Amino acid sequence: MPLRLLKYAWKKPEEELRFFPSEKPLKQSYDAVIIGGGGHGMACAYYLAKEHGITNVAVLEQGYIGGGNTGRNTTIVRSNYLTSEGVKFYDASLKLFEDLSEDFDLNIFYSTRGHFTLAHTDSAMRTMRWRAEVNKHHGIRSDVVDVETIQKDIPYMNVECNGQHPVMGALYHEPGAVARHDAVAWGYARGAQLRGVEIHQKTQVTGIQTQGGKVVGVQTNRGDIQTNKVISMVAGSTPRITRMLDIPTPIEVFPLQACVTEPVKPFMNTIVVSGSLHVYVSQSSRGELVMGASVDPAELHSTRSTLDFVEGLTDQMMDLFPFTSRLKIMRQWAGMSDITPDFAPIMGKTPVEGFYLDSGWGTWGFKATPISGKTMAHTVAHDQVHELIKPFALDRFENFKLVGEKGAASVGH
Amino acid sequence: MKFVNCPLIGKRALSEFTYGGVVKSEPDLESVTDREWAQFVFYRHSDPQIQFEWWYHRPTGIWFVFERDTLTDRIESIRMAQKGAVNDA
Amino acid sequence: MTLRLPPQPLEWIDRNETVSFEFEGKTYTGFKGDVISSALWANGVKVLGRSFKYHRRRGLLSFANHDVNALFQGQDRPNVRGDVVTIDENHSLQAVNTFGSLKSDKGSLVEWIGKFLPVGFYYRAFYSPRFLFPKWESLIRHMAGLGTVDTGWSEQRQPKRYHYCDVAVVGAGPSGMAAALEAAENGVEVCLIDENPFIGGSLDYQFANEETVFASRNRLKAAVFSHPNIQVLTDSTVAGYYGDHWLAVNTSQGLIKLSAQAVIAATGVFEQPAVFRNNDLPGVMNASAAQRLIARYGVAPCKEAVVLTSNPEGYRAALDLLASGVEVGAIVDTGEVSHKWVQKVLTKGIPVYKYAEIVEALGKKQLKGLVFKAAGGEYEIACDGLLMSVGWAPAGALVYQAGGKFSYDATAHQLLPSVLPDGMFACGRLNGVHEIGHQIEDGKLAGEMAAQYVTSHGTSKTESENSVVTRYREVSAHSHHYPIWEHPKGKNFVDFDEDIQLKDLKGAIAQGFDNIELMKRFSTIGMGPSQGKHSNMNGIRILARLTAKSIDETGSTTARPMFHPVPVSHLAGMRFRPERMTVLHDFHREANAKFMEAGNWLRPEYYQTAETKQACVEAEVSAVRSSAGLVDVSTLGKLEVFGPDAAALMDRLYTMNMSNMKLGSSRYALMVDDAGIITDDGVAVRYAEEHFYVTTTTGTSDAAYRLIQKKILEWGLNVTVVNRTGQLAAMNLAGPNSRRILAELTDIDLSNDGFPYLAMRQAPVAGCQATLIRVGFVGELGYEIHVNANDSATVWQAMMQAGKAYGIQPFGVEAQRLLRLEKGHIIVGQDTDGLMNPFEAGMPWAVHLKKPYFIGKKSLAKLKQSTSRTLVGFELQVNDAARRPLESNLIIEQGEMVGRVTSVGFSPALQKVIGLADIRQDLSDVGSSFQIKLTDGSFVSASVVATPFYDPDGSRQHPVENPKGAAA
Ligand SMILES: Cc1cc2nc3c(=O)[nH]c(=O)nc-3n(C[C@H](O)[C@H](O)[C@H](O)COP(=O)(O)OP(=O)(O)OC[C@H]3O[C@@H](n4cnc5c(N)ncnc54)[C@H](O)[C@@H]3O)c2cc1C
Repeated sequence: MPLRLLKYAWKKPEEELRFFPSEKPLKQSYDAVIIGGGGHGMACAYYLAKEHGITNVAVLEQGYIGGGNTGRNTTIVRSNYLTSEGVKFYDASLKLFEDLSEDFDLNIFYSTRGHFTLAHTDSAMRTMRWRAEVNKHHGIRSDVVDVETIQKDIPYMNVECNGQHPVMGALYHEPGAVARHDAVAWGYARGAQLRGVEIHQKTQVTGIQTQGGKVVGVQTNRGDIQTNKVISMVAGSTPRITRMLDIPTPIEVFPLQACVTEPVKPFMNTIVVSGSLHVYVSQSSRGELVMGASVDPAELHSTRSTLDFVEGLTDQMMDLFPFTSRLKIMRQWAGMSDITPDFAPIMGKTPVEGFYLDSGWGTWGFKATPISGKTMAHTVAHDQVHELIKPFALDRFENFKLVGEKGAASVGH
Repeated sequence: MKFVNCPLIGKRALSEFTYGGVVKSEPDLESVTDREWAQFVFYRHSDPQIQFEWWYHRPTGIWFVFERDTLTDRIESIRMAQKGAVNDA
Repeated sequence: MTLRLPPQPLEWIDRNETVSFEFEGKTYTGFKGDVISSALWANGVKVLGRSFKYHRRRGLLSFANHDVNALFQGQDRPNVRGDVVTIDENHSLQAVNTFGSLKSDKGSLVEWIGKFLPVGFYYRAFYSPRFLFPKWESLIRHMAGLGTVDTGWSEQRQPKRYHYCDVAVVGAGPSGMAAALEAAENGVEVCLIDENPFIGGSLDYQFANEETVFASRNRLKAAVFSHPNIQVLTDSTVAGYYGDHWLAVNTSQGLIKLSAQAVIAATGVFEQPAVFRNNDLPGVMNASAAQRLIARYGVAPCKEAVVLTSNPEGYRAALDLLASGVEVGAIVDTGEVSHKWVQKVLTKGIPVYKYAEIVEALGKKQLKGLVFKAAGGEYEIACDGLLMSVGWAPAGALVYQAGGKFSYDATAHQLLPSVLPDGMFACGRLNGVHEIGHQIEDGKLAGEMAAQYVTSHGTSKTESENSVVTRYREVSAHSHHYPIWEHPKGKNFVDFDEDIQLKDLKGAIAQGFDNIELMKRFSTIGMGPSQGKHSNMNGIRILARLTAKSIDETGSTTARPMFHPVPVSHLAGMRFRPERMTVLHDFHREANAKFMEAGNWLRPEYYQTAETKQACVEAEVSAVRSSAGLVDVSTLGKLEVFGPDAAALMDRLYTMNMSNMKLGSSRYALMVDDAGIITDDGVAVRYAEEHFYVTTTTGTSDAAYRLIQKKILEWGLNVTVVNRTGQLAAMNLAGPNSRRILAELTDIDLSNDGFPYLAMRQAPVAGCQATLIRVGFVGELGYEIHVNANDSATVWQAMMQAGKAYGIQPFGVEAQRLLRLEKGHIIVGQDTDGLMNPFEAGMPWAVHLKKPYFIGKKSLAKLKQSTSRTLVGFELQVNDAARRPLESNLIIEQGEMVGRVTSVGFSPALQKVIGLADIRQDLSDVGSSFQIKLTDGSFVSASVVATPFYDPDGSRQHPVENPKGAAA
């Protein structure tokens, strides 16, 4: 029995430290306003306060903390990207993740499981090797492994895949992990709040005011606020916010769905992704198989579920894990993914002074939560774009300087 | 699952169609600046709206233009894509 | 001890047939039609499972497909639901999630340390020291989870069906049956769906003994079955509502995808447990569960009962108990339901305690009694059964999924539909109508509205703007507004799946998780397999009270599919993955081809003519270089373009000038997207002024065809494109003897003047009409021959026959790759990546920026000035077989990644390792050298060389020779 638990045993609920404050009025002005109380928004607030001493900050969340994609994602954390820019960025995030539980004094269940990206074609094998080589070059533990090695770790996988597109090998990424998504947002929120940041739930930003190309305030459903710095961290709602300032972006929003089975005792320890089959799966600490696929085929700003998704996913899943036919799907859901043409985020400054953008997180942004918060906080505090996120600028498209991440992200999250 | 009330072939499952992106009108290459061109290729306002979109019906090989609400997923109108008329959508 | 009752009028069991099954190593017997829980209960087994966290003994609670504490491990599947799965001779069941056995479950030790495991305890510990977390996590994971998976279980797939109807009525209780009938009477096709094996719903268990309903029950059922417009689907659960009135209906036979024009939700209500100390003891159950047990299975819930109630339903249940021979020690009324009911039970000798407050249930392993306060003090009544009848929550999942809304009715103390989406209607208890006669009327009205909606194509006006009918709603409460009683020692469970007690929710709220969604996520209420069916409503009530908000302000969590969990085997359905074979597939197989997948296609990778793959490939390469080879390239996309604007289209699609192609010529066709990125390449030929033919790569044929069709529309061109990929076959005959072989099969002039390099001819080959293109992809004299797919076998065989004398060999993809590499030709998708433009691919010659327009022109004009990398040919300075780079190995310069090997191979012709590399521009000059990092981390040196590696002046593609003459 860990000692930490003993000290809670004698406390009454009301003596507990609150994670989040109860509702209180908005102030008239703040040094900075963060739109979006997801993981990114909370992390940015945390690092602004902790590392830059900027605490007169409000995080405005239209719903509840973590209710966007943060609370809907399948929590795969990895750094086996294809480009140097991507690898460095996500690796820095992983390093932060590893310390979070202790930083927060809150277990985020950061669980290193190992991550297999299966290859079913020789061209996929080439991509896996490419990623492995780029990763190793940056000191990241990734290797191309053969079928025997996969079978050693996952003996119950049907590598023959019913005779079609058999597994030829995989990219194995040892640091691949899963975590408790909500806890990440809560931990950051509590940490930020303890340092003086205000968190306002059920507060929706409805407009952003500018004067002479500079941000001067935001409008909300609870009244107006003055501020010279606004940081948009709203993932799937980004086009709605950028519309307010007439900033067109390359982002398009597509639903991304996921589902879970009923809980069963642990048998799957690694994370398995198959790009060719459009599926990925891990087993949560509650015992559910958490599964997902690629984004829905058309733009949509909605979190509705479709039957096509579960039908397709379960069908493909059985090629790899035939025995899962005996399990039951318990729940499905969706989030809105802000997809970019090059599958890399859009971060940093914008044409409007004082308006900062953290977006383009598509299917892959949970793993970036800590590093996005940290680098965006730096960017806002110094009004100077952090080195790690320079390649992710909004104007890279205009300059035809895209980040070549497409090959690595399509279904991997 | 969704249905499409196709003007030519009746009620069809949306899964028979492939999404082809929003209908955009391409600027004239002679006069367009590099910046405007890049804007055309990459940038747009993609907040929820009723927009004209390309949808390809695979079984018949026909391109359609749907007028669809990207907030509610409601298809407001459907027509067969007409030659040259797309830019007026 | 047996609790089996004498036959009940409407029971679902067949007493003529007994069924034995095993449970926890013991054999039990029940009747055919018994579910696991009823059979065990009849045998006096009241401990059906252990709870999730504390491993407390649990019995029946709801008996409505969400008794998650009565889940069983079967031999062939986990998490078998005891309240709905019928017993089977083959069953050998265990309780899930026990350590040891159900009887002595070591997991119950957790209860002793429960004090230290408050809500969200796992967030507060186990993370430091960090190295111990994996151990703790493993322990926590083993404690969690329910049934176990046997990874050896075989794959199961159930076919799916489509089904169409006008009105789908979900739920075949009184209101659903009435709705179905009324809709059918109005002339529309109705599908009446119920998850139970029989229709009737609450009529059959809640009103089983109510003589006044006998007549209407029989009439309704008979009418439903005899109505030609009604199809009844029993044993069928609507698992989800999806857009446009699609319902996923799960049956034991598989999934039905039901498309309706309108949907009536007559899904009823879930009975909600009361929350008090020890409310989870086996023997404590919802009153409706007890009624189901009696009416459906003829099993008594107990011997001596107490009924805890806040509504008339509880009184009725008490009478049902009496009728089945169970003693009822008392009715404990939390208020005063009505004089009428009190009189009714008093006359039967049941004492009634009014305005009661519950203190606790008594018992260790099973229920022994109830302690409560009422006028006159505290009472303790012994009982082995406690029926809870304190209220209802809507079974509103479908309405929520369709976008409907509920709001709290402070009279009924029930959440009722307030907004119904277009084409959806609600009736019955879901709609707050409890009185039987009213339920039927309410159902009728819904049926009529739905039929009108369908016949008017969605334009009919309904009683209220949002389709909600309030006319028959109850004016008195059938639910307690707060059926929750505190106790200093706790153990008052709100969520039985997750073992969540009142104090856990208090703890969560106190820590700031005071939003319904946050409370759910932190405490996990409603997250178990029953998905909150018995716990969400009480959770909302608790949160509302503790935050001093109304129920509507508090809101509720989102109800997502599945309504009940659905087997993967049903959702997946049959496996269908198209796999395409060329017409020549059998020839390849006979020639011992080893196949590989290319898109949907199967192509010969190589032919097994020697021991090792390498030897096979080398033999094929050598045949092509020294004599002749034949490769099947039928998988290429093949498009034909006709019309006045054909040339204009070709010019606009491809980067090269195509409109100036001469008739009878061919040209490389390279396509980029708007951003200038290479997407496809092939060969185009010009048949006539207004007639072209062009190939695409294997993987892109469909997309290319789609794109071209779209562009024709966008540009408004007068041209037609036909996708002939499947109709035509193609093969490439290559090698110094190819001309001689071909000469035997065709009459055309094959001389260099008669059929020069890159020319195209149309002529019969082996008697079959063919298009011949003189190509050089593999670097030898060669002809690509396109014929009707039906003729391809004839042509292939004829060429193999004619080539026999020359030692012709069929060759596969591997040999072709190596041959083209020796020529320095790229493969789109292998040598190019998702961002590469033609300048970077070393093909500036393929971009004609002078043309007025082509896709991506503007981007390429810009990109031309900023090329920072390029594809180059390289060779290794030392050929050490053990130290050969692989494709995707990196090129490193001063510790920096500066490039990547995209293709590499040992060239038999040059006896060197050669390759293509994508490399930083400043390192790309011929003669400069660079370092390739091998997979093991060591380096090899390579130098940039000019391409083609092989036959740089192309003389082998233009051999001067008389085709009919002697060998050169
Ligand atoms: C099904 C699914 C699976 C995924 N799986 C993975 C995975 O395995 N690994 C991975 O790395 N990533 C994954 N992702 C992506 C990841 O979830 C997101 O990229 C990430 O959570 C984004 O975090 P965020 O804080 O930026 O956005 P969010 O968590 O979406 O937070 C944005 C918040 O902004 C609020 N907001 C929006 N507009 C306004 C407004 N006008 N005013 C006030 N508030 C507003 C929203 O309510 C929301 O709470 C997945 C996503 C989905 C949907």
